[in-house]
Amino acid sequence: MATDLRISNISKIYPGCIANDNVSLQFKSGKIYALLGENGAGKSTLVKILSGVVSPDNGEVFLNEKNLKLSSPLDAKKNKIGMVFQHFNLFETLSVFENLSIDATEDNESLRVRVNEILKKYNFSIDLDVPVLNLSAGQKQKVEIIRCLLRSPKVLIMDEPTSVLTEQETEELFISLKKFCDEGILIIYITHKLKEVLSLCDEVAVMRKGKVVSVSQTQNERVETLANKMVGQKLAKIKKKINISKNKDEIFKVKHLNFYSDDPFETNLVNLNFSVKKGECLGIAGISGNGQNELFQILSGEIITPDTSIIFRNKEIAKLNPKQRREYLMAFSPEDRISQAAVPELKIYENVALNNFKSSNFFEKGLVNEKKIKEHSKKILSDFSVNTDNVELKSQFLSGGNLQKLILGRELITAPELLICYNPTWGLDVGAINYIHETLIKINNQEKSTILISTDTEELLKLSDRIAVIYKGKLSKIMPSEEVTPEKLGVLMGGGSID
Amino acid sequence: MIKIEKRNDVPMALYFFTPFIAIILTILGGGIIFYILGFNPIEALKFYFITPISNLYGFSELLLKATPLCLIAIGLSFCFKSNNWNIGAEGQLTFGAIVGGGVALLFYNQEGFYILPLVIVAGAIGGMIFALIPAILKTYFNTNEILVSLMLVYVSKLLLDYLVVGPWSNPEGFNFPETRQFSDSSRMPLLFEGLRIHAGIFLALAAVMLSWFILYKTYLGFQIKVSGLSLKTAKYAGFKGKTMILVVFMISGACAGLAGVGEITGPIGQLHRMISPDYGFTAIIVAFLGRLNPFGIIFASLVVALTYLGAETAQIFLQIPKYTGQVFQGMILFFLLASDYLLFFKVKILNLKKNELRH
Repeated sequence: MATDLRISNISKIYPGCIANDNVSLQFKSGKIYALLGENGAGKSTLVKILSGVVSPDNGEVFLNEKNLKLSSPLDAKKNKIGMVFQHFNLFETLSVFENLSIDATEDNESLRVRVNEILKKYNFSIDLDVPVLNLSAGQKQKVEIIRCLLRSPKVLIMDEPTSVLTEQETEELFISLKKFCDEGILIIYITHKLKEVLSLCDEVAVMRKGKVVSVSQTQNERVETLANKMVGQKLAKIKKKINISKNKDEIFKVKHLNFYSDDPFETNLVNLNFSVKKGECLGIAGISGNGQNELFQILSGEIITPDTSIIFRNKEIAKLNPKQRREYLMAFSPEDRISQAAVPELKIYENVALNNFKSSNFFEKGLVNEKKIKEHSKKILSDFSVNTDNVELKSQFLSGGNLQKLILGRELITAPELLICYNPTWGLDVGAINYIHETLIKINNQEKSTILISTDTEELLKLSDRIAVIYKGKLSKIMPSEEVTPEKLGVLMGGGSID
Repeated sequence: MIKIEKRNDVPMALYFFTPFIAIILTILGGGIIFYILGFNPIEALKFYFITPISNLYGFSELLLKATPLCLIAIGLSFCFKSNNWNIGAEGQLTFGAIVGGGVALLFYNQEGFYILPLVIVAGAIGGMIFALIPAILKTYFNTNEILVSLMLVYVSKLLLDYLVVGPWSNPEGFNFPETRQFSDSSRMPLLFEGLRIHAGIFLALAAVMLSWFILYKTYLGFQIKVSGLSLKTAKYAGFKGKTMILVVFMISGACAGLAGVGEITGPIGQLHRMISPDYGFTAIIVAFLGRLNPFGIIFASLVVALTYLGAETAQIFLQIPKYTGQVFQGMILFFLLASDYLLFFKVKILNLKKNELRH
């Protein structure tokens, strides 16, 4: 029987963020649909609505013209909507079979018969009686899929399924998904990986900032067209600043940066080499999840990697922690301003004290110099036009833009020689974005350097002197930004190559 | 349908007020239990909470019991505030008592003003060393400090058992599992003639003052606060995470060790098997009831000490086992956690029928 899933005018608003803005989509069985978008584009919220985890503020979901009331995950199961999340929901110490039997409605014997049928039908080789913790990521995912199949689903939603899989496992998954599709299961495939969309899916819907920006047949798309739709570009607005930094000294130099992680949710970095000149802004573009997090943490000293050489102002700093690197006049503005760059429960002046550099005298002989910290904080609040002058205010009461100004102010008021920032304008309103862009340009003009890791192409083209793209933990060659076009960036960000 | 949502604005005043709500609920809960057991609840609660402190002796006993609780809880607050879950204060107390007691036994037949300070310092160092074991294992081998510190409690208790039965048992003690009596120079000076309250209370008060100073006025305190709120931020700010873990465990262990030494050189005067009625575990409740705040902990230690005393009076007057004290301590923790939950989350009851009408 054909399945028809229709999402109509779904909206979901979180405080300070519109996660889904009037989203309407239609899916029919027999095809594999891709839902494409960056982190924070609203894909996950939409999926959570479909699986009953979150209820929408507005809008409806129809399955075969029946209006579904999805107020809990149980409702989704009842309506035969199956869901495989990116992070597995399995009990590691229980066996595969025990995991499957937890929410089964039949007795163990008939369940085992049915599971074996599924294993045989789809060529899955999994030992049902070993503990789940002994399985590879790909096998765990199969267990989750079997759990869905046991309920003979009409709709199967896969959320970023390949982020933890090897190439081989990915291929296997695609074969299975195509089989499911042939059997009439409607498949919605959520991802930010462009090549997968092109090789697997029939139709693709692109989401950006909570809205569906395009629905098209994948055969009409290429990696770069999808990349551009995904990150969004407004060519008219882009204005590059004048390159002032030719023939300047190199202030920062990274050699042989390698990072290997056991955590399947982290990206390995492979032999990154780059340098930054005085007064220059080096932009690092890329779709999120390609190693930016790891790169930022290594540059800031939160992760120390062996064998890497980082030279800053002629000194080797690769073994120093963030506090020690600050002493050499580096500053850092991480992506996550709410839970990393600042602590919401702390007062403004306490958050300022986090950047405790040598000449600050914030802590003299191990004691807190509250007066000094507060004076310093007042100066930051006024110099960086944060809309409060109350240093006793808890920073959770600042808006995103004001919090980011506070963080940038805290990092910049020490006049660092190099600022490393990661998505500094993520989620901010236009006014705050402009202010932050102006600030970043200003510090370049003062002969200070910046490394801008960003997923926003427009921002990168506006601010960078040279740009490189990070893809799957590898860095492209570094290009002067006047030679870079959004199209070129799109190709590189999608894993293609130019020239 | 019930829906649980996080509250965005938790008033600080209410945050410090909920422990009182928990105490009131505990008293009510206790009354109900007494009623079910067939006692007049008002009468029974009076025996439990008022009789014990209705005279000077009783009040001094309250301070005596509150002293180790306060000391240990102050130490634990350093660990808990920085997200280190030291559950083994009872073990650190016992090991501190063993080391301090060992020094006291060395001087069993000697007099001298220097002996008591030596014993006290030895006890603190003993607790500190014992607390360093889970800390080092955590920092360098990634073990779980909850399990390690808890298991070490039994190690130290069995070691104490062995010592008082074997090598350290009193040669003239008719094989009772206890050591010699310490000499008077190893005993805490009594504050009043005829009462058991001793100078150890000043150690506890000093710990309160010192911990307030460290937590709120020093760089170490700032690091502890930030690490407790967000480990990610602590890493970003470049705090030396490992050193901090070692330091908070050492502080915590030293406090527990002091508490142990205070018991054996104070009311007990020798080593035997039962040197602590689980003060080390109960102090966890004290630390949280006091909101990990030094002055809150003073108040909490008095309240919890009263449950120990009340249990003893109830055993005498109502013939119910003194283990009811633990029931009351459990109830305090339960009600505190429950009221905290309601403080941080709001429970919404959704009217399903209305929703269905709308569809």
